[in-house]
Amino acid sequence: MKKLLITVAVVSATFTGALAQGDKALQIEKEIKADINRAAGMFYARYTAKAPNDTPAPKGKKPFYINHYGCPGPYYLDKSEYYTEPYAIFTKADSLGKLTKLGKEVLRRITLMYQDAKDRDGELTVRGAQQSRTLVKQMMERFPDMFTPKGYYSVRSIVENRCIMTMQEGLLQLSAMQQPIVARSKASLQELKFMDPVDTELTSQRLDSLTRISYNRFTDLNSNENRLMSSLFTDMNYVMNNIDAFTLCKQLFILAGNVQHSSYAGQFSLYEIFTPEEIHQQWRKQNAWHYINYGGCTLNGGYQAYLQRATLRNMMHMGDSVLKRYNPLMHLRYTNAYVIMGLACLMDLDGYGVHTANLDSLEDYGWANYRIAPLGGSIMMIHYRTDRDDPDVLVKVLLNGNEARLPIPTDCAPYYHWQDVKLYYLRKLYRYENRRFNFNKK
Amino acid sequence: MVIISLTSSISAQSVRDIIAHTPSYSSCNYHVYPDSITAVLTPAPAGKKPFYISHYGRHGSRYISNRTGYETPYLMMQHADSLDELTAAGAKVLHEMNSIMRDTEGRWGELTGSGKRQLEDIGQRMVRRFPEVLCPGANVKCISTIVPRCIESMGSTAMKMLQECPQLNITMEASKRSQWFMNYQDRKLRKRSTYMTPQAQKAYDEYIKPRMGNSRLMEQIFKNPDIVKEFVEEDYFNYYLMKMALFQFNISYNRNPRLMELFNTDEFYRMWQIDNALWYIQYGACKLNGGCQPYSQRHLLRQMIADADSCIKLDRPGAQLRFGHETVLLPLVCLIGVNGFDLETDNLDELEDKGWWCSSVFPMGANLQFIFYRSSPKDQDVLFKVLLNEAEATLPIQTDCAPYYHWKDFRQYCLDKINNYK
Repeated sequence: MKKLLITVAVVSATFTGALAQGDKALQIEKEIKADINRAAGMFYARYTAKAPNDTPAPKGKKPFYINHYGCPGPYYLDKSEYYTEPYAIFTKADSLGKLTKLGKEVLRRITLMYQDAKDRDGELTVRGAQQSRTLVKQMMERFPDMFTPKGYYSVRSIVENRCIMTMQEGLLQLSAMQQPIVARSKASLQELKFMDPVDTELTSQRLDSLTRISYNRFTDLNSNENRLMSSLFTDMNYVMNNIDAFTLCKQLFILAGNVQHSSYAGQFSLYEIFTPEEIHQQWRKQNAWHYINYGGCTLNGGYQAYLQRATLRNMMHMGDSVLKRYNPLMHLRYTNAYVIMGLACLMDLDGYGVHTANLDSLEDYGWANYRIAPLGGSIMMIHYRTDRDDPDVLVKVLLNGNEARLPIPTDCAPYYHWQDVKLYYLRKLYRYENRRFNFNKK
Repeated sequence: MVIISLTSSISAQSVRDIIAHTPSYSSCNYHVYPDSITAVLTPAPAGKKPFYISHYGRHGSRYISNRTGYETPYLMMQHADSLDELTAAGAKVLHEMNSIMRDTEGRWGELTGSGKRQLEDIGQRMVRRFPEVLCPGANVKCISTIVPRCIESMGSTAMKMLQECPQLNITMEASKRSQWFMNYQDRKLRKRSTYMTPQAQKAYDEYIKPRMGNSRLMEQIFKNPDIVKEFVEEDYFNYYLMKMALFQFNISYNRNPRLMELFNTDEFYRMWQIDNALWYIQYGACKLNGGCQPYSQRHLLRQMIADADSCIKLDRPGAQLRFGHETVLLPLVCLIGVNGFDLETDNLDELEDKGWWCSSVFPMGANLQFIFYRSSPKDQDVLFKVLLNEAEATLPIQTDCAPYYHWKDFRQYCLDKINNYK
C-alpha cells in the first residue's frame, strides 16, 4: 500500500510537473495573444502602463542602494535594410503588376514605415524617450527612501547614442522630480569593461557547427512562406525566381514588430498579414536565436551568458563597497539589451539560466525573450538595511520591474541575504574562470 | 581660473594682455568658457517682454578628439628618452605627459566634468535671465548633432534648466535628420584647395614664418637640441606640446597643469596669432580665398530664420536650443556679422587690430542666443538682441534701439545676403 502510494505520488508529481511545463508554454501563447507586440521579442516595448507591486520589506529595512542596468527604449532599427529591402522588393513587384490587393496595402504601409525611419536608423524614438522617463518616474515612486536631497546619483551610459539619449531622458525625469539633486552622468568608453564586456574567445564559440546545424534544422521546421507569399504576390513563379521568401518573411515580421515604436503605432499593424501559427513560428525562431547567443544553450557549451561575468562581478563588488555609506546611492547604468539578457541568464533570474540543447523545449521552460530583455528592460538590485551597522543586508532583484526569483535559498523571498547572494554569485564566477583558465593547475 | 568676460574685454585689452592672465585664450578653440559671466544686460525695450529664445551652442570642454595631437610630441619625447637625450626638466615633462596620456586613454573626444558644468551653468543662467520665456509650462525644444559630447551637453543644459524650473516641457532629439543644418560640412567650401588658395597659402606662410619655432623650449628639454633635430621637428614639437599644455584647462581636475611653466606669454601669444590667422582663412570672410567660407552655414541661418518666423506666430513659443560644434558656430557668427566678425580683408596682420579674435567666439561651451521681444502676440514690431557667449553683441545693420534690433530688418538682411550667394 505504502509502495503504491509512493508510486502514485511520483506519478502525479511527474504529471503535475509535465503539466506545469505545458502550462508555461500555454502561458506564453496567451501572453502573445493578449498583446501581439510581444511577438517582437527583444523589440517589444516593455510594459509601462502600471508599475508592478512591491512585497513590503522585512520590518525596519529600508533601501539604501540601487544598482540598475537598463537598456535603451524603443528605437528605429539599426539595419536600414529591414526598411529598404522589403520596400524595394514590393515596389518592383508593384511596377510589374505582381502584387495582390493585400500586397499593395502592405506596400503602402511599409512605404510609410520606410519614410518614418529614413535617416533615423538606430535612433531612440519619441516613444522610447517617453518610456525612459516613465520608468524613472515609477522607480522614484516605488522607492521614495532613495530619493532624498542627500542621495547621490551616478549615471552612466555606454557610448551609443540611443543609450545616451535614454540616460539623458531618465536624468530629465530625475531632475524634474527632485530639486536639488546631485547627479553625475557620463558616457565613456572607459567603463565598457563592465558595462558591455567583450570576450571574443567566448563569443567565437556561439555558432559552432553543431549549433548551426541544430538551429538551421529548427528554422526549417518552423518556416513556411508559401501561404504568406501567395497572399501578397499574384504570381508564385515570380516569387520563386525573384524573391528570397525566407528573408522577406523575416524582414516583414521584424517590421511588424516595429510598428509599435513608429509614428504609426495604433494606426495600423503588419501582424495581421500573418496567421497566429506563422507569428508563433517566427517568434520561436527569434527566441531560439537569442537563447543560443545569450542564454545557457548547451549546444554551444552553455556558457554564453558568462560574457556578462564582469558586469555581475562589478555588481557584487559595488554591493560590498557601499555597505557603510551614510546616504542613499544609486547607480543607473544604460547599456545594450543583450547585456541585460545575458546578465539575467547568468544570474539565473526566474529560472532563465536554464540549460538545454533542445530548442523546442524553450517555451516549456518559460524562456521567452520578450520577458527577459524587451526594449527598456532592466535589472535592478536593491539593497536594504535597518542602519549602517546592520550586519544582515538584504537585496531584492527586479527584472523589468518585477520581483525576480534568485537560485538561492532564502527565508524572506523575494528578499535575499546579501552575504548568500554574494557568495553564490562570486563562487559561480570563480568556478567558471577556474575551469576555463586553469587557475588551479598544479 | 577664468573670470573675465569674453566679449566685453575686447575693447579694453589687447590680446597679449588677455593671454598674460588667461593663457588658455591662446589655444583658440580649446579655450575654456568663463566660470562666471559679468556682462550686464540692457533692460527690455519699453513695453516689450522676451517671448522666444533661439540658440546655437557648442559642446562644453572635452578631451582632445584624437590621439594625433598628443602623440606628435609624446612620441618625439619617448624617442629622445630612449636615447638619453632628455634633460632633468625634460624628464619631468615626459612624466607629466605619461599621466596625461593615461588620463585621456579611452576618453578621446568625450565631454569632461567641467564641460558638463559649463553647460549646466549656461542653462541655469538662461532660465534666470529670461524667466518670462522659460516659465512653467514653456516648451523647450533641444536638438543636438549625433556626436555624443553634444548629446551630453544638451542633456546637461536641459537637466539644469529643470532644476531651475521643474515644470518646463523639454524635448530632446539627436538625429541624422537634422544634420543638414546642425552640422553641415560644405563639400566644396571645406575642401582644402578652396580655402587654402595659393594666395592664401603664401600670405599664411609669410605671416607664420617669424612666429614659428621655439629654440628656448628645445634647450630646456633636450640635452643636445641639435642632435635630436634628427627626429624632433621643432615647429611641430613646440606647437603640439603647447596645445597639450593648454588643453589641460579643459580637464576638470587638471586646471593648473605643470606643462604651462615651459612657456612664456610671448610664446603663447605667437601661437595664438598663428592659429587665429588659420581659423580666419578657414572660416572667416577672408579675401585671399574669395571670402565665401562663412556661407557654409547658410542652411543653419536659413533654418533659424524659418524657425523664428513660425515661432513668432505662436502665443508661447518657448525656446529652441541647438547643440553642435565650433566649426559651425564660428562661420555662423562670421556670416551674420556679429561683433564685426564679418570682417573682410586680405591682410592677416589686420585681424588683431580689427578685433577678429576667434577665441572670443568659440571657446568650449560657446553659444549664440537670439532673444526675441514683443508687447503681445499681436505686436508687429518684434525686436531681438543677440548674445554672443551671453554678452550683448552688435549686428551689421542699423537700429534705433541698440542693443535691440528689428527682427524684420535682420531677417531681410540675412536672406538677401544668403540669396546672393552663388
